[in-house]
Amino acid sequence: MRTGNLRRFIALLLALAMVAAACGSDEGTETTEAGGETGGDPMKVAFVHVSPVADKGWSWAHDQGAQYLAANMDVDITTLEAIPEGSDSQRVFEDLAAAGNELIFGTSFGYMEPMLAAAANFPDVTFMHATGFMSSDNMGNYFGAAEEGRYLTGIAAGAATQTNLIGYVAAFPIPEVLRGINAFTLGVQEVNPDAEVQVVWTSTWFDPPLESTAAQSLLDANADVIAMHQDSAAPGQAAEAAGAKWVGYNTDMTEFAETAWLTAPVWDWGPFYLTTAQQVADGSWQSEAYYGNMADGMVDIAPFGPSVSDETRATIEERKAQIIDGSFSVFPDPIVDQDGTSRELGDIFGMDYFVEGVIGSPTG
Amino acid sequence: MTVRRIIVEPRGLASLRLTLTVPLLSVLAALIIGGIFLWITGDNPLTVYGHMVDAAFGSSRGVSETLISATPLILTGLAAAIAFKMLVWNIGAEGQFLLGAIVAAGIAIAMGDGVPAVLAIPVVIMAGAIGGALWAAVSAVPRVYLGTNEIITTLMLNFIALNLMNYLIFGSNSPWRDPLVSTFPTGRPIPDGASLPRFFNRLDVGIFIAIAVAIFAWYLVNRTRWGFEVRVVGDSAETARYAGIQVPRKILGVFLISGAFAGLAGALFVAGPVGALDPRSLDLGLGFTGIIVAALARLNALAVIPVAILMGALNNAGPSLQSIGVPPEIVTMLQGAILIFAVGGEFFIANRLRRPELPPEVLAGEAAA
Repeated sequence: MRTGNLRRFIALLLALAMVAAACGSDEGTETTEAGGETGGDPMKVAFVHVSPVADKGWSWAHDQGAQYLAANMDVDITTLEAIPEGSDSQRVFEDLAAAGNELIFGTSFGYMEPMLAAAANFPDVTFMHATGFMSSDNMGNYFGAAEEGRYLTGIAAGAATQTNLIGYVAAFPIPEVLRGINAFTLGVQEVNPDAEVQVVWTSTWFDPPLESTAAQSLLDANADVIAMHQDSAAPGQAAEAAGAKWVGYNTDMTEFAETAWLTAPVWDWGPFYLTTAQQVADGSWQSEAYYGNMADGMVDIAPFGPSVSDETRATIEERKAQIIDGSFSVFPDPIVDQDGTSRELGDIFGMDYFVEGVIGSPTG
Repeated sequence: MTVRRIIVEPRGLASLRLTLTVPLLSVLAALIIGGIFLWITGDNPLTVYGHMVDAAFGSSRGVSETLISATPLILTGLAAAIAFKMLVWNIGAEGQFLLGAIVAAGIAIAMGDGVPAVLAIPVVIMAGAIGGALWAAVSAVPRVYLGTNEIITTLMLNFIALNLMNYLIFGSNSPWRDPLVSTFPTGRPIPDGASLPRFFNRLDVGIFIAIAVAIFAWYLVNRTRWGFEVRVVGDSAETARYAGIQVPRKILGVFLISGAFAGLAGALFVAGPVGALDPRSLDLGLGFTGIIVAALARLNALAVIPVAILMGALNNAGPSLQSIGVPPEIVTMLQGAILIFAVGGEFFIANRLRRPELPPEVLAGEAAA
């Protein structure tokens, strides 16, 4: 009798599960069909991020851009977060394409090759990849001149340091990061030629405890300003605890370390996302490599912290205006490298050296 | 009222019906608990579960992706299953997987484009298996001859293997690193001749190799004299010794085969879906997941196949659930709940709960009360 009941119970549950499966797949098909009809339905746009969008860093900045897009255009946005880079992500992009998304953004470098492969399989879908260099007929890439913001924040750091040693917590020794460190250092030395920038590598974009340890090691070495190419606020919290100052990255992170906060290079992806979506909607989109800057608003600096003097603010604002009107460029050519030798600037996208004033190895 | 205790006691041999219904019930229980959470967070559990099934099995692409994810899990599952069967606690499948990937990619790159596929592919696959076995030997030899604890050594060697891979790609200009890409360090692509042929969407022949190895492992353990002796050692090393079985050699053999399976997984993964020694694509914890696969499959080599496929499905369903608005945290929680319940169900297969028989007068007294 008891086994009989048990068996019936299992049968019922199984049936329920099958009903569930059936309902689910029906719905799945419906969505796909709805995506196919373009008449009147909002365009489906998808974003894929490598870290949780709540990180208040890189992915958060992109998500702010997605929200700007949603506020200014009738779109249906799908956001996938914490999606690992690497070959497995091809499946994620293809799933999104199969689900009827017409425009798919991937906001991390490691999505590049998987996205290229997915784009080849879904030629009618537009793919956009941030920070990479590969493209195809239906895949473009985009990035921005963070070095402009880095230079300006370097001015704030150079004015703030008393010990003339600034610590820089950096992710990987790749051109993008080296470019940022060099621009920052040039900014520092514009206002404080005696100050030096010491670099520590973490080999990760996002690992708060490790970022914090790296910042602490720099503070222990007598640095009194911490800058970073990382995605969390952990280096800033370490600086705040040590009574040092902090230049953040990606977003306005004042709330994490109010007294330490100086400013940060920040991103504003919203207008670019809106333009891209409008181009895809009206059919005028063409594959290109877009490099935004301070003049078009993709790159900016965050509001200043309380300790930044009026004089420093004025210097930065003046430089900012010159960068925007094109009368000042961050990197001189020729440029003096770490060993004190003058060299040709070359292609900044392949930058593999440090400028004078940086302490550390550009190969990690 | 008398309190009636419940006694937990080991069950001798569980019946087949029990071994089948308990895991099924465990998964159902997990789905119900997960469903309650989904319902609390405002999602319709039926829609969510339907979507999971649909994502993993609802289309030809879904099926092929599920099998791609299952392929390495079958092999790392076998690596754990065969070792644990003999109470050899090799939890280093992760590191052996990475070494297999490193050696396989290295050989493929060294051979270059000139070698025909019929030769290149078997060489690359064998190289991966040997790489995994050698990495296992680093733990196995001291275990057998010096009595060191293999749990610690295999675990630690996982981190060394991971750092070795990172060094080859991020920390040096090794032959594994792609010299053409300066933007970000990546692995040098495996030559076409050494890449596994694809036959169904992105699915390559690796799945057949994995299934064949599972059948081979099952045959080896259950149908050969060697396998019989291994099982005797697993049941009691003392008995095995009395029976004249050379226990150290058996342990060494099982350890190396276990490592070879994990290394083979790494080779198939780099020569298949990944196509390069790419740390971002390889550092997925596939070796660790293999331990879960082996546990759910009750260390049975054939059961490893369906369990690995289910794990692959569960993994792939994750991101697609986000696209219907389920937060990633809830997705992870749901996946975790299914695993915990499934492993927890093991307890009821291995043990039975019994209420001690009470004398009739006590029962009568209770009824009266």
